[in-house]
Amino acid sequence: MIQFVFIAFMVLTLASALVVLLTKNVLYAAFSLLGTFLGVSALYVLAGADFLAVAQILVYVGGVLVLLIFGVMLTNQQGNKSRGRNDITTESSNRVLGVFVMLGFSATLLYTFGRARFLTIQDSLFEAVEPTSTTQTIGVELMTNYVLPFEVSGVLLMAVLIGAAYLSTKTKN
Amino acid sequence: MNAIIALSLFGITNLFLGFLNNRKILLPATLLFVLIAFGLNLADWNHEYYWFHNMLKTNNLSINFTSIILVATALVVAISRGFGNDEEHTHPAEYYGILLFSVVGAIMMVTFQSLFMLFVGIEILSVAMYVLTGSDKRNLRSNEAALKYFLMGSFATGIMLFGIALVYGATGSFDINGIGNMVNQAKLQDIMLNPYGPILYGGIILIFVGLLFKISAAPFHFWTPDVYDGAPSIFTAFMSTVVKTAGVAATYRLLSISFPAVYGLWGNPLVYITCLTLFIGNITAVYQQSFKRMLAYSSISHAGYLLITVLAKTPTTNSSILFYSLAYSIATISAFAVLMVVSEAQSKSGKPDESFTALNGLATNNPFLAFVLTVSMLSLAGIPLTAGFFGKFFIFADAFSNVSSLFKTIAVVAILMSTVGIYYYFKPIIAAYLKKGDLEKIELSPIYKLTLIITTALTILLGIAPDLVKNIF
Repeated sequence: MIQFVFIAFMVLTLASALVVLLTKNVLYAAFSLLGTFLGVSALYVLAGADFLAVAQILVYVGGVLVLLIFGVMLTNQQGNKSRGRNDITTESSNRVLGVFVMLGFSATLLYTFGRARFLTIQDSLFEAVEPTSTTQTIGVELMTNYVLPFEVSGVLLMAVLIGAAYLSTKTKN
Repeated sequence: MNAIIALSLFGITNLFLGFLNNRKILLPATLLFVLIAFGLNLADWNHEYYWFHNMLKTNNLSINFTSIILVATALVVAISRGFGNDEEHTHPAEYYGILLFSVVGAIMMVTFQSLFMLFVGIEILSVAMYVLTGSDKRNLRSNEAALKYFLMGSFATGIMLFGIALVYGATGSFDINGIGNMVNQAKLQDIMLNPYGPILYGGIILIFVGLLFKISAAPFHFWTPDVYDGAPSIFTAFMSTVVKTAGVAATYRLLSISFPAVYGLWGNPLVYITCLTLFIGNITAVYQQSFKRMLAYSSISHAGYLLITVLAKTPTTNSSILFYSLAYSIATISAFAVLMVVSEAQSKSGKPDESFTALNGLATNNPFLAFVLTVSMLSLAGIPLTAGFFGKFFIFADAFSNVSSLFKTIAVVAILMSTVGIYYYFKPIIAAYLKKGDLEKIELSPIYKLTLIITTALTILLGIAPDLVKNIF
């Protein structure tokens, strides 16, 4: 049963990721990204990472994706009005270079994962695990062992906030 | 560590100082903040501390790197001139605030003990640089540079994060010493037979790609010329000194602590990357017409020189990297300082002229600026009696002291390429002294002049007596 669920979500993730890659319409790409994010968070659940799955949905589906779609909708679409259509399409240039980068990257990953032997988890794959929540552990760790990265992320967010506010304010020309 | 906390608070203080509506106060305040951080940093000298559950580790090496970063920052702040008097279009409080935040990231990159901190540090530094690159909002080239840098930079960060995840998967640790121990234990002669070997290998390669992108080593350098050229000159000076020093320090720290046992895995690719970086950086710099763009390519080539000593792994590598970074940073900052005032004085219809021809006849009315430019160019080219000569000398000595004959080849390539460097570093000097131009006398503010005197004096002093700092490093 879990095998089927796993494969179904894997197909969902991969298929919608391919749509993102291949479609020319930016809005379609944004919407199929939704499928990718949902599929990935379902895979997190299957891996026993419940907190990560919820965070994935909250941050990516709830935040990033909505932002992305708003961005697409608010973009000036004058360019396509002449063709009587109201969508934003991408023009792909430099396909050859992109394919080379893709090939190099996937060769590295295929080599890495192809040669690796996942001995320890092979036996218990797809067996039901004890349903435990990781939330408490994450909370405790975040406030003890990993308190410095947690706090320092504040500096990062501060820099991002100031930068975004500065860059997006309107200046008179 | 105290410097990190202090600088984070000072960055916020700087933002509040922006409310005072007094632009004059920001430059001295920021300079003071950087100097306080410098003092706090030195307070830990000769002590080894682990901070917050092994997240950061400070020792003399990291304190030295932090000092170089802070000195470079102080010099850059000193030549920033408070970003002019244009109330409408420049916002110094934000610029200085973001600059201080980015220094926090840079310090984390040289003191990290956990890969978490490396990642967060790189992100803080990069995000701040994306914003500062695009800070000249009316300049299209600045906008283009910021977007390019942002897209490519986040891609590189993603790749590096993937690498960190794989290394964690293979070793089960984020701690660089912990990773080092695991790598040592894992019988690394036949790493590919080890069940975790391939994952570790993939992880190292991907982390590597991310870090090499940040220090703009070839073939990951393609963003550098456009970004350095498009960014406002003051931030280009910051990028090519502080960001480069932090990036090289982080690469060196990771490779020398975590992965010395698998030298064969990363050493061989790095040999080719180093040679390619030296070759591309120097040869392309020859063809540039713009002084600023030439400095961008020269900064690529300097990444190559620094990588030589990272590769050579001799006991003197620490001090060679430190000396080279210091010599390169002060020379680059004085070159950019001259470029900034000259290009503004030569600006045509509001756009600063950054080509070599802008320097024509500089020596006639501005002998001081011409002298500063000459010393910095000689130092970057590695001519004796300047700091740059000894920087290169130590690095080549490291390469020759390594028994492997491969290093002789690298050193020969590097020496050949540094002779190519002499050609293009002399172009501005020739323009300043031999060509005719109609440049008026340029008035410099006292702090600007003082900074130029300090950088020039330091360059000559370290060229005559390198042991002054070499003994500390």
